[in-house]
Amino acid sequence: MSRRPVEIVASAVEEYGSGREAVLQILTRVNGELGYIPEEAMKAVAAAVGVSDAEVYGVVSFYSFLSVKPRGRNIIRICDTVTCGMKGFKDVVAAIEEELGVGVGETTPDGRVSLETTSCLGLCDQAPAMLVNDTPYIRLTPEEARRIVAGLE
Amino acid sequence: MGETRVLTSEKQPEVGAALEKALGMTAADVVFEVRESGMKGRGGAGFPVGIKWNLAGAASGADKMVICNADEGEPGTFKDRLLLEKYPHRILEGMAIAGYAIGSARGIIYLRAEYRYLVPSIMKAREELLEKKLLGRSILGGGFDFDIEMRFGAGAYVCGEETSLIESLEGKRGEPRNKPPFPVNSGYLGRPTIVNNVETFVNVPLIILNGSRWYRELGVGDDAGTKLFSVSGDVKHPGVYELPMGSTIGELLEIAGAEDVQGVQVGGASGTTITPDELDRRLSFGDLPPGGSVIVFDSSRDMMAVLNNFMEFFVHESCGQCTPCREGNLRLLDATRSVRSGEITGMEELKEFFVLADIMKIGSKCGLGQTSPNCFVDIMTKFARLSGGKGGI
Ligand SMILES: Cc1cc2nc3c(=O)[nH]c(=O)nc-3n(C[C@H](O)[C@H](O)[C@H](O)COP(=O)(O)O)c2cc1C
Ligand code: SF4
Ligand code: FES
Repeated sequence: MSRRPVEIVASAVEEYGSGREAVLQILTRVNGELGYIPEEAMKAVAAAVGVSDAEVYGVVSFYSFLSVKPRGRNIIRICDTVTCGMKGFKDVVAAIEEELGVGVGETTPDGRVSLETTSCLGLCDQAPAMLVNDTPYIRLTPEEARRIVAGLE
Repeated sequence: MGETRVLTSEKQPEVGAALEKALGMTAADVVFEVRESGMKGRGGAGFPVGIKWNLAGAASGADKMVICNADEGEPGTFKDRLLLEKYPHRILEGMAIAGYAIGSARGIIYLRAEYRYLVPSIMKAREELLEKKLLGRSILGGGFDFDIEMRFGAGAYVCGEETSLIESLEGKRGEPRNKPPFPVNSGYLGRPTIVNNVETFVNVPLIILNGSRWYRELGVGDDAGTKLFSVSGDVKHPGVYELPMGSTIGELLEIAGAEDVQGVQVGGASGTTITPDELDRRLSFGDLPPGGSVIVFDSSRDMMAVLNNFMEFFVHESCGQCTPCREGNLRLLDATRSVRSGEITGMEELKEFFVLADIMKIGSKCGLGQTSPNCFVDIMTKFARLSGGKGGI
């Protein structure tokens, strides 16, 4: 069972403190554990640090890794920037979409995987590339990508 | 040409030797050595490193900060990833030397969230340095304390801009600040702060060990040191290459195995797009600013599609704080799409967009909006094959 949002916030505040500069770290912790940041958690962060709810929401909305919408247990971030674009991004993403039955920006109905595109991952020498959660996958072919995606729990 | 690889050489100096030597010098002498080396920042903007350190050292204010910019997000750049993977000790040692030089006890590595898989190797290096008394309290038994913590981005290219990075470290939206005040006077939490690139820090121990003169002579002509280049796209051997600063782009492409060249993007999406006629240009702050990213396009590539991709990147990554950048990038993307769809057929119709590009360069608050129109102007003027009008190639 995952912990409740307010519990995660409380333990992150213990670790990072309740200073203004801890906000992004606390939010990142919640996001990492739940896959997104529920309103409850944003309110708890605002109260703990002493800033407005709107300010916390403003931080969440700024960063592409932070989400206010529930996401899947696994997050695929596939690079759509230039070198990956030259090396087969289109075919790879099409294969993943077909394998998952959902498109970019969507989550499988069983909550297993969310698919997102992202800017350059710094793996252009091994393009096309993607991250699954924190793990990089490189030199993808459509077949290889299908296999990786199918293996996600 | 002799052995030019010093950063990525097989023979690496012993960890800690440079820090030990630096601690035997005065802080002012360390700054002086770095200044005399002529090293310019490796993160893109090319500000002289020694001058930045001098300013931070002289600034009044407690708790000075040393920040390593590991946000590497410029499209086509991956040389810092290699350094973080293979040479984490040297990064940390360079930061500690910087700390001694400016009078700081605290360093932060700001790592992009996309590089989280590199954390174990960096943390292991930190542990090893702590054990060897090269970090932590009373380094090498003397009176200098310095430790380093890791903090993370959360997926925003603009956070590589140093004031945006500082905002992000303070837990806020990563929106660039107005300058002045400059970080050297008022940076992280208002403290005097230096922000330097990963590659910049990696150079520091070598400068201290071998001297400023050695370093200057590594470069070609007026340029100092060597430079890492991330080469990708249509080349036989994509990867990171180390060459003397001031080498030509042609020399680099030959080593990387570029056989068919229609165009080259030098310095990332915000850099310069060049044609095969320009391969004798130098990778140098005086000519082609060498951010570190080199992307090669062969003759099969549609340069308008390349431009479209760059402009989508900037539209997505603009923080939206100022109008020239927020609206300007959208309009340049629209214009690119119109050229691709045949709605715009002549250079005449693009004129207003070149004027807009100039406005963005002058009127944007940070480097993102100031440089994002470069690729639009370069690709439209050098590569556009417009069906109508007199302009274009
Ligand atoms: C939009 C934008 C993104 C940037 N991204 C990076 C980056 O990822 N890494 C980096 O070192 N510098 C980046 N910079 C440059 C930094 O603002 C700053 O000049 C640099 O970190 C200073 O270090 P250096 O002098 O050692 O190069 C970026 C600048 C802009 C405008
Ligand atoms: S130039 Fe663009 S990225 Fe920079 S502050 Fe303005 S809107 Fe933000
Ligand atoms: S362009 Fe995809 S990793 Fe750089």
